[in-house]
Amino acid sequence: MKAEKLRWGGAHLLFIMVMLGLGEWLTTHGWLDPTFVGQPSGIIRFLWNNIATGKLWVDMGWTMAGTLISFTLGSVAAITVGLLFVGFPKLEKFFDPYLNAMNVMPRIALAPLFILWFGLGLGSKIAVGCSLTFFIVLSSTVAGIRGVSQDHLTLCKTLGASTFTTFFEVTLPGAVPVIFSGLRLGLIYALLGVIGAEIIASEKGLGQSLAYLGATFEVNGVMALLLVLALLGVSVVRAMTWLEKRLLHWQ
Amino acid sequence: MAQPSRPVDSNASLAIAVDGLHLNFDGSTPVLSDVTLHIRNGEFVSLVGPSGCGKTTLLNLAAGLVPHTGKGSIQLAGASPLQGNPHVGYMLARDSLLPWKTALENAMFGMQVRGVPRAQAQERARGMLQEVGLAGFENMLPKALSHGMRQRVALARTFALGSPLLLMDEPFGALDAQTKLQLEDLLLRLCQQHQQSVLFVTHDLSEAVAVSDRVVVMTSRPGRILADVAIDLPRPRSIRELQKDAHFHELYAQLWGHLESGWSKHEG
Repeated sequence: MKAEKLRWGGAHLLFIMVMLGLGEWLTTHGWLDPTFVGQPSGIIRFLWNNIATGKLWVDMGWTMAGTLISFTLGSVAAITVGLLFVGFPKLEKFFDPYLNAMNVMPRIALAPLFILWFGLGLGSKIAVGCSLTFFIVLSSTVAGIRGVSQDHLTLCKTLGASTFTTFFEVTLPGAVPVIFSGLRLGLIYALLGVIGAEIIASEKGLGQSLAYLGATFEVNGVMALLLVLALLGVSVVRAMTWLEKRLLHWQ
Repeated sequence: MAQPSRPVDSNASLAIAVDGLHLNFDGSTPVLSDVTLHIRNGEFVSLVGPSGCGKTTLLNLAAGLVPHTGKGSIQLAGASPLQGNPHVGYMLARDSLLPWKTALENAMFGMQVRGVPRAQAQERARGMLQEVGLAGFENMLPKALSHGMRQRVALARTFALGSPLLLMDEPFGALDAQTKLQLEDLLLRLCQQHQQSVLFVTHDLSEAVAVSDRVVVMTSRPGRILADVAIDLPRPRSIRELQKDAHFHELYAQLWGHLESGWSKHEG
């Protein structure tokens, strides 16, 4: 098993080295224009310099802080509203058209308004991230609770379980897998919202650096930050998968 | 040496008394019509009949899951049906185990909901798991158990409640033939030991004959009682031995005849 893993790791490493070598060769021999696509050696140099000066860490810190805060606030609000909707279906019926209208709206279009309201700092990024996370987690919470096994609920009824016991012993644990899939998607969208808002207008963050580098034709820098964002996204998903395996080991 | 059928206490109040029961959900075709059924304490009665004849509805009425809104009466030990009645244990067609709880925690669940102290519930659940042949599997999650084992845990959970009346809705309906026979044997043993009254819904005639003291045949649209057949096979019974018993096959044929007559009446 370990040897198999090593073999796959080696194959991936070789593939990446070949692709980088090919990119380097194509750009140095004039097959591709490094002004538009960057150059592997330039990308590595950019990353090295930014890691050494600490700028990359500062930007990443701001982006991750915005992502985690908006994810937490958006998820807590969504789960609370979801529980209220399941408990009081009339409330959901009343608010459904408004929430639908807000959900179909491209949330990034609200970024200029949020920047106006909350300024160029973290507040506006959190607002955009929250607005994306909220609806995803809300729908998964409602779907998760409504999708709880009818057999389990019938069992509770025949045993004379209280609403409290039924909710905490059966409904909530039964809904967790669906809620979790919403949380996983919500976290990715929180990152997307924060980066989007940083690109539009910000003082700090990976999105702000990306916009600046793009505007100044620093393609190596743009490519380097895109690579960092891809790694960040993968790490976030991996972390959620790890947590899911821990929490939902019974699945 | 053959023993007489499991004794029933005819002097005590009835476990279930259904008299002239009518049920109509939406004002159109009645679901149940003029159903009268008395089950004595300690008696094992099976309900058989075609799909939609109201067997499960009758069971759910007894469990208090369906409100009784029509004519007639239904009483459990002299009282009206009540959802969550502590004197009633209910077993569903599927095992309905909670997948995040271990076999032991699942076997304890019903007792804990009904307020049995944790230590006592744990001890009784361990004993029941041993009784259903699952000693050593206490800490396994349902995903690691076979269908048959899961249904054994569900049996342990139901019998651990110690309710004097059990309502069972096709508990072995989703199992393969071999596992089903094993679990029928287990059910016979458990009933022999625990002496509870049972109302058992099934589609399987041979299962009904094998486990019951009486088999009640229902007919559909509306659900009525067509026949009430006493199963005078001696107890304790063994499913394997019953397959070779001529009287078992006679009873099976008799019940099959009643079912067929129900179909022809309905078609006619």
